[in-house]
Amino acid sequence: MNTKQLLIGGLAALAFASCKPQLNTPNYNSGNLDFTRYLAVGNSLTSGYSNNSLYRSGQQNSYPSMLANQFATVGGGAFLQPLLKSEVGFPTAKLVLGLVIDSTTGLASLSPIPDPSPSDNAGDDASIAAQGPFNNIGVPGIRAIDFLIPGYASLNPYAKRFFNDLTASPLAELGRMNPTFFTAWIGKNDGRGYATSGGIGKVNGGFLDQNSISNPMLFAVALDSVVNRLTAGGAKGVLISIPDVTAIPYFTTIPYNGLVLTRQGQVDSLNAAYAGTPIKFQLGANAFVIQDNSVPLIKRRQMVAGEYVCLSVPTANLKRGLGSVQPIPTQYILDANEVNNVRTATANFNDMIAQAALDHDLAYVNMGAFLKTLSSGILYNGVNYNAEFVKGGAFSLDGVHLTPRGYAFAANEIIRNINAYYGAYIPMVDVNAYDGLSFP
Amino acid sequence: MKKQTILSFLFLLPAVLSMGAGYQLNLQGLRQLAMGGGGVAQPWDAATLFYNPGGLSRLDGIQVNGSILGIIPATQYVNDVNGVTARTQNKVFTPFNLYVGGAIKKAGGLGVGVGVYTPFGSGTYWENGWTGRYAIQNIELQTIFIQPTVSYKITDAVSVGVGVVIGTGNVKLNKAIPVQDANGNDGQASLKGKANGLGYNVGLSFKASDNLHFGVSYRSRVDMHAKDGDATFKVASAVAANFPNTKFDATLPCPEVLSVGAAWKPFEKFTVQLDFNLTGWNAYDTLAFNYSAPVNGSSRTASARLYQNRLATRLGANYQATERLALMIGGAYDPSPVRDGYVSPDLPDANRIVLTGGLTYRPLSKLTLMAAVEYVTSAKRHAMSNETGFGGLYQNKAFTPGIGVAYDF
Repeated sequence: MNTKQLLIGGLAALAFASCKPQLNTPNYNSGNLDFTRYLAVGNSLTSGYSNNSLYRSGQQNSYPSMLANQFATVGGGAFLQPLLKSEVGFPTAKLVLGLVIDSTTGLASLSPIPDPSPSDNAGDDASIAAQGPFNNIGVPGIRAIDFLIPGYASLNPYAKRFFNDLTASPLAELGRMNPTFFTAWIGKNDGRGYATSGGIGKVNGGFLDQNSISNPMLFAVALDSVVNRLTAGGAKGVLISIPDVTAIPYFTTIPYNGLVLTRQGQVDSLNAAYAGTPIKFQLGANAFVIQDNSVPLIKRRQMVAGEYVCLSVPTANLKRGLGSVQPIPTQYILDANEVNNVRTATANFNDMIAQAALDHDLAYVNMGAFLKTLSSGILYNGVNYNAEFVKGGAFSLDGVHLTPRGYAFAANEIIRNINAYYGAYIPMVDVNAYDGLSFP
Repeated sequence: MKKQTILSFLFLLPAVLSMGAGYQLNLQGLRQLAMGGGGVAQPWDAATLFYNPGGLSRLDGIQVNGSILGIIPATQYVNDVNGVTARTQNKVFTPFNLYVGGAIKKAGGLGVGVGVYTPFGSGTYWENGWTGRYAIQNIELQTIFIQPTVSYKITDAVSVGVGVVIGTGNVKLNKAIPVQDANGNDGQASLKGKANGLGYNVGLSFKASDNLHFGVSYRSRVDMHAKDGDATFKVASAVAANFPNTKFDATLPCPEVLSVGAAWKPFEKFTVQLDFNLTGWNAYDTLAFNYSAPVNGSSRTASARLYQNRLATRLGANYQATERLALMIGGAYDPSPVRDGYVSPDLPDANRIVLTGGLTYRPLSKLTLMAAVEYVTSAKRHAMSNETGFGGLYQNKAFTPGIGVAYDF
C-alpha cells in the first residue's frame, strides 16, 4: 500500500468514525476494596424472598446478587447462592396477581393469590451444603439473636438446606467463607414478628419468644458477635439499618379510617347498635372498630390516626361487618402503644448498628431513611415508584418484601454508601432492567 | 360477567414529542446548504422561494430545482451512574425539496412560483428495550410544506415576495408502559397521527450593487394540529381497561424564523455570505395531548417544554472555479433551544456545529447538477429531563449527503 492509499484509507476511516459519537463510560473503580470474596449476611430481604415465598428467580434477583454483578465490574469474584430449583416457591407457593371473583357482587378484582401452578419444589429440602460455601447466606425468618442459638439451622427450613453444620450456631456459617467484603442486614425480624402479628408477643423477648421484640441486651451481644466474626479476617463491609416496619404496605395499605359508609341507613343502624358508647359513625370515612380489652364492658373502640391495620386482615370481611358490627381482632391491629414499642425498638437497634459500624470502621446504610424516600415517591427513568401496594412497583405482593426493582433500589442505596464511605466508584444498578410485578 | 379492574394506575404517561432544535431542518436548497445553510441575501436559485421569497423576481426566468437528501443521525447515551450506554439505530431519513418558479419575463417585475419542502422533522429510534424505553422508544416527525409564492421587483434595487404556507405532516411514537405482563413484557403505547397547519413566508431582497446583496425574511409560526390521531395500547389484560385504544389531539408548533443576511463579492468569482436566523422557539412552551377516552385515568397530559429563542449564525463562500463548476463551503453555529432539565431522549438536543460543502456543475447551459454534504456534531451534553427523571451524557452527530438538479427554462 502506498502513501496515497494509506492517506485515503485513513481519511475514509476517520470520516466514518467521526459520524458516530464516541462517549466513554466513566472509570469505575473499587477504591481499593477487595471484592474477591463477597459475603452477604441477612434475613429474608437478603435471601431474595419476594411475594411471600422464596423461589429461584427471586434468589437470582436478590440485592446481594445485584451487588455482586456490580462488584464484578471492578474486580469482584465469583458469587454463589444456595439456589432452589423451585420457581413456584419453597416451602409454600408464592403470591401472584389473579382475578378474584367477589361472591356477593360477582365482580372480578385483581388480588394476590397463591400461585396456582403445581408445586415444583420436590427435592429442594435436601441439603446442598456440600456445594458451598455460599456467598449469600441470607436466611428468611432469622433474627439477629438467632445467630447465638446452637442448632438454629435444624429448625429453619431455609437454613437447613445449605448450612454446613446444623448443630452449631449460625455464627459458624459466617466463618465458612473468609470474606474480603461483606454486607450485613440483620435485625428486621427482631421486631417484625411483633409488628406483623399485631403486637401479640413480648417487648423484651428471649430466644424462644416468637412474635416478640428481642431483648436489646441479647440483640447487642448477637450484633457484636456477627460483626466481630465478619471482620476477624480484616474484611471491609457494610452494616445496613432496619427499616421502620410501619412504612411498608403491609401496614399502610388499609387506612385506620378505611370504613366508608355511603348510606344513611347503615350509619343510623350502626349508631343505634353502639348507642351509649363513645363509638360513632357518619357518612364517609370512619375509623374501624377494633378489639381492645382495656375498654370496660364493650372491650372495643374505634381506631385513631397513627394506628395500623395489618394486610393479613381478612379484607373481604371488612365489607361484611368486620371493623364495624364486629371489632377487628387485636392480632390484625398495631395500636398506638404497639407502634411506639416497635419504633422505639427499631431506633434502639439501629443506634447499635450505627455504633458497630463506627467502632469497626464500616459503612453504614440508613435503609430506613431511604425507604421513607421511596414512600414519598421516586421518579426513576420515566417510572414513578413508591411504597403503594401493587401500584407502587417496589414492594411485592406480601407488602413487606421487595420486587426485583425494589431490591435494585436497595442495592443502589448500598452502592451509594460504599462509594461515599470508601471512596470507591462502583456503577449503580439499572433498576428498570429488572422485573416489577407481573399482571395477568 | 363484566371483567373489571379495581386498580387504577398512576404510572407516568407523559406527553412525549420533543424533537429538540433538531426538529428544524436547514436543508431547503443544496447550494444554500453547502454554504452553511444560509441564503437570505442573494437569490442563488429557485430555492430562494424558501430562503427569501423577495428574491424570486430576481431570477433569470423560470427554474425547476429539486433535491433529495439522506440524513444519517447517530446519538449515543451514557448513564454515568450505572454505566449503561445506548445508541440509536441506524436509520436514514430523506428530506427533499422541489421548487418551480422565477421571474415571468427576463427583465420583468413579477415572479411566481411554488415550493414543496420539508422544513421540520426528526427521527430517533433507540435500541429495542433500551434503558430509557419508558421515556421514549422511538419517535418520528415529518412535515411537508407547500408554498405558492409571488414576488415583485419594485425597483432595480428592491424586490419583495410573499408566500402562503400549507403545512402537512405526521408524527408517530412508541414507548413502553411500566406494567409487565405474565411473561415480563412491558406494555406498549403507540401514538400515530397526521397534522396540518397554515402560515406564510415574506421577504425583502435589496441589491445595493452588483457585488453586494442584503436580505431579510420572516417565516411565520405554523401550528401543526394533529386531530383524531390513533393512540393504541398493548398491556396485560388485567389492566387493559385502563388503557383503551382511543383518539388524540395535539398541537406542535413549527416556530417562526426571522433571517437577515448579506452576500458580498469581494473578487471576481468569489462570494461570501453571512446569515443570522432568529428562531422563535419559545412558541414551544407546552405539549399537550387530549385523549377522547381517559388513558390511565386522565384525558389530558401536558408536558412543559419551555424552549427558548435562539440565534443561529451561518457563514459560507462560493467559488466559481470555471464557467461550469462552482465550489461551496460553509459552517454554522446552531445553539440549542432546550433548557437544562428539559432535555429528553426523544431528541437530546445540544448546541450544534455545522460544517458543509458542495459543488454545482453545469454540463449543459440550462442544466445544473448539485451535490452537497453536511456534517453536524453536537457538544457532549450532560442533561436531565425533570419530567421523567431520565438523564445522562448525550452526543449527536449527523451526516447528510444530498444531490439535486436544476433546469432553467
